[in-house]
Amino acid sequence: MFVPENLGDLLQYLDSHQAGVHLIANGTDLINRIQRRQVSPKVLVDLTGLTEFRYVKWEGGMIKIGGLTTISELVASPFMDSRYDVFREVAMKFGGPSIINMATVGGNICSASSSEDLLPVLLVLDAEVQVRNIHGVRTLRVEDFVKGKRMTDLKPNEILVETSFREIDSHSACSFEKVGMRNSLIIAFVNCAVFLKLAENKMCDEIRIAFNRVNGKIPQRARQTEKIMKGKKLNEQSLSDAVATLRNELKLTSDFRASEEYRLEVACAIFKRAVSRCVDRLAGEEILV
Amino acid sequence: MSKHLLKFSVNGKDYAVVVESHERLLDVLRDKLGLKGTKEGCSTGDCGICGVLMDGRLVNSCLIFAIQARNKKIVTIEGIGSAEKLHPIQRAFMKWNAAQCGYCIPAMILASKDLLEKNPNPTTEDIKNATRGIICRCTGYVKIFEAVKTAASEMRGSE
Repeated sequence: MFVPENLGDLLQYLDSHQAGVHLIANGTDLINRIQRRQVSPKVLVDLTGLTEFRYVKWEGGMIKIGGLTTISELVASPFMDSRYDVFREVAMKFGGPSIINMATVGGNICSASSSEDLLPVLLVLDAEVQVRNIHGVRTLRVEDFVKGKRMTDLKPNEILVETSFREIDSHSACSFEKVGMRNSLIIAFVNCAVFLKLAENKMCDEIRIAFNRVNGKIPQRARQTEKIMKGKKLNEQSLSDAVATLRNELKLTSDFRASEEYRLEVACAIFKRAVSRCVDRLAGEEILV
Repeated sequence: MSKHLLKFSVNGKDYAVVVESHERLLDVLRDKLGLKGTKEGCSTGDCGICGVLMDGRLVNSCLIFAIQARNKKIVTIEGIGSAEKLHPIQRAFMKWNAAQCGYCIPAMILASKDLLEKNPNPTTEDIKNATRGIICRCTGYVKIFEAVKTAASEMRGSE
């Protein structure tokens, strides 16, 4: 294991040693995968010394989260007021305290498995990630960064330093739902995040929907359903039209955790719940009066 | 396999131990420091039995490479009370017979300590939330929750 204590040493090392090198943050996912021999790194590079990447801040209308921020630190941040309860919903279903005290935001993005709970939320918030190597920084959308199951656009000499998204304004709300076997440490059968921006008269000005298995193995947006809902007034009818589209759009698979049919029913139910939670969050705002 | 010098504090005592890259915090605590109070359960982060406090927060010692605990302050069950002077949480667990096989109890007590330091007057829901990552297969949890409430009221009284 290579244990750098500052960013310069780390980036230098990554630039000159690339084969078989694997980055490790707090290891809640990676240590299991090593034990199961799903990955066999020659060298682990420990990121935990880079404490400068543990932060949540607000800058120019953007919420910025350092890659090594733990899920507990994220939800405890003073910037995470009630508009960001969606992250508390994630934390409650993400794992028990001993997991959320360790699991990092950057780690969850880079692990890029079908069950990562933060990814759907970051997708609906249209978040970006900032990655860095010795030569510089590049910024890309989370949607483009996560390429497939366990596949990201992170180059061998890069690390993810930050994720950021536009702050949620008073006309918008975001919510997260997940169903699995056990609340304190579950791999989701299905999870779902919704971002909703309402115009006057409950008109759906903008909606972004993400599930963990829209089309295959990774969290993705449900764009057809978004298109159906945009510009419509939110009511029973429009919601059931949306669910009909969602049924066609989701490509769920059966595995040992749940069957395809069950997943689809659950997905439609939690989608409706997530939308109505967003509406509840916006209740009291002027637009609904 | 590389070796590292791990400097950290365990139960208020400073240690410098030579560890290998692949050794977990759990292994070092149990096998190198002889602190057998921390138990190994599933080794995959599911059961929460190996919980210890790292810089005051509950973590699973099976999911941490020992060298990643460098410069950290670790508290294990041995660090919160002694046979002569038990911690109020330990006394409350005894009073309520909250332990049956006892395997999960070190983690339950440390999770309770983590909770009570932040929230001296927890509801049952708060206690469930704080211990939800730890699996107990004997007690049905009820007596554990009662014990934590008793400990909380005793600790509030002693302030």
